[in-house]
Order: sequence, then C-alpha cells, then structure tokens
Amino acid sequence: MGGLELGSKNPGSAPKTEATRGVAIIDFVLRIVALIATLASAISMGTTNESLPFFTQFIKFRAKYNDLPTFTFFVAANSIVSAYLVLSLALSIFHIMRSGAQKSRVVMIFFDTGMLALLTAGASAAAAIVYLAHKGNIKANWFAICQQFNSFCERISRSLIGSFGGMMILILLILMSAATLSRR
Amino acid sequence: MDSTKSTGETALNIPESKSTKDKNTVAYTATTTATPYPQARWKRGVSIFDFILRICALVAALAATATMGTTDQTLPFFTQFFQFQASYDDLPTFTFFVVANAIVSGYLFLSLPFSIVGIVRPHAAGIKLLLLIFDTMMVAFATAAAAAAAAIVYLAHNGNSNTNWLAICQQFTDFCQRVSGAVVASFIAAVILIFLVLLSAVALRRR
Repeated sequence: MGGLELGSKNPGSAPKTEATRGVAIIDFVLRIVALIATLASAISMGTTNESLPFFTQFIKFRAKYNDLPTFTFFVAANSIVSAYLVLSLALSIFHIMRSGAQKSRVVMIFFDTGMLALLTAGASAAAAIVYLAHKGNIKANWFAICQQFNSFCERISRSLIGSFGGMMILILLILMSAATLSRR
Repeated sequence: MDSTKSTGETALNIPESKSTKDKNTVAYTATTTATPYPQARWKRGVSIFDFILRICALVAALAATATMGTTDQTLPFFTQFFQFQASYDDLPTFTFFVVANAIVSGYLFLSLPFSIVGIVRPHAAGIKLLLLIFDTMMVAFATAAAAAAAAIVYLAHNGNSNTNWLAICQQFTDFCQRVSGAVVASFIAAVILIFLVLLSAVALRRR
C-alpha cells in the first residue's frame, strides 16, 4: 500500500521532558530554600536591638537596625525578594506541570535577574557597613562600633550569610532556567 | 527520498508501486518547508543589539574604574595630627570597587568576540548560553561592587550621628564628586548587564 506514514513524535523527546520536569522540581525546591534564607535574614536584621546597661547624656548606648539607613535598605530589599519568591512559587509549579512553556520562563528569568540585582545590592551595601563597623577607618576618623556593641555586631554579621546564600541560589535558578530554555 | 537543503525544503517522493491492482496509484509527494529565514533575521537583530549594549556596558565599567582609580585629593594645608589626603585605597571598599569593575570590564571586552560569533551564526545556542551564564555572574559582581561603594559614599555625604561617623565630604568635595560619579557609572553598567541577560534569554528560545 502506498501512503505516507504519519510522522510520530521524536522518540528521543521523552527523556528530555523528564529531565526538564526534574529540573523544574529542583527549581521549586531551591526557591523554597532561598525564600527561607532571605526571610531569616530580614527577620534577624530587623529584630536587632541592643542596649548597653549604662548611659550618659552625650553618647548613645542603644543600637538598632534603623540607626543606619543602609540596614533599613537591607531589611526592605530582603523582604521584597522574599515576597517575590513566594509569588514565583506559583509560576514554578506551572513550569513543573507544563514543561514546554517558553515565554513564561523568559519572564521568570527577567524577574529573577532583577531580584538578584536588588538582593545583591542590599547584601553588599550592608556588608560594607558591617566591615566598617568591625574595623573602623583611621583615615576618615570612623570608629569601629563593634567594640562596644558586641551582640548587635554579631547579629548583623550573621544575617548577611542568609542573604548571600539566597543570592547564590538565585544565580543557580537563573542558570537552570536558561539551560532548560536552550534545550527545548 | 531526496532532500534539498539549500532552500530549506524537503521533498519526499514515494515511487509508484509496480504490482498494483488498484486504480489509485499516485505518487505521494510531501513537502515540508521550514522557514528559517525570518527567524534568523530576527535573531541576528537581537545579537547586533546585544553587541551594541555590550560596548556601552564596557565603556561604563571602564569609566567607573578609571574615575575611581585616579582619585587623589590633597588639601593644601596640614597639621601633625590629621590626615588631609584622600585616595581610593584609603577605604577597602573602594579598592574592591576598582578591582571588581576592572574584572567586569575585562570580561565584557573578552566577550565581544563571542558576541560577534553570535551575530554571524544566529542559531548557535551554546555560545548564547555561555554568555548568559557569565553575564548573570557579572550582574551579581557588578551590583555588589556598586552597592558597597554607594553605601560608603552615602555615609561620606551624610555621616551618621548614631555611630559618631563624620561626613567627610564636607572637607574633600572633589574626591567625593569623583567617587559619586564612579558609583553612578558602575550602576549603569550593572543595569545594562541585566538587559543583556534578558536579551540572551529571549534569543535562546526555540520556536
């Protein structure tokens, strides 16, 4: 019998879809980890409040995060990124279900990159101020406040870790989305 | 079955079968026409735009590095106790800024040939993926340097009464202006890098 055999789907595409779905599941899990990291950072910085047990009229003996505007920006940036990660969980679930979505992946890459920039800006600005608080600066006559406020200093240094961890995870998420895009 | 690749058409000719009793023996010819030409043009346009943006980002990052690296202001009076000379390496954050922007400039310069390959061959997905990976890491790096320097510059402009940190800009105005300009240029480079990541992601799609 003559006739044209109907072309079937490329048999090599089944493992591709499986791999894409696996990557999407890893993406979802990593997003949750990043959400926990940035949320922990925001809360840990936002609840700093140390009072030294003596006072005079002239010198301040209470340290809080909003004494320094950079730390306020840090808390705000981490909160915004946490909120974005919660919203993007929905998009991530959509990508698990539909492995072939391309336009939504591009949108997700765009917003992920924007949030990466915001998070990195907040984390590195706070890191610069924390470094200054630890070491001071002789040339600018800036005194190292960590020598007085030990617990405050420790807290702000630790809250940077979560933020930088969230930043690495965001980079991984962008790379995974891009790799998935180029494979389809 | 023969296929002609030059026009993007594939023609399948199934010859008539000899031993037929049917009257309906027709040679089936199926042609599939792939149309790569408009898609290649669009991708080439995106690649050219990517190349232009890369040059702009390179100029911005180089300007930031040079401006910050050549800061050196000496006030025309001195005493025994106070330091009246301001240079970028007085603050380690600014040293990090200069190094990071130099690395970003170097990367952008080295990525120009890859971008040209992307223009010449619009369907090379490997090159675009490689550029996207490194662009993402450079976005993080450039933003980190710019934001850290911006925090110090903000402190230098405004000081902080809670920690007794004086605003040094009131003394070193020229130094302060140069440093602020360098931070602005670095932020521009970071924003352009974000757009480069978006462009690479858009160009990676396969219809």
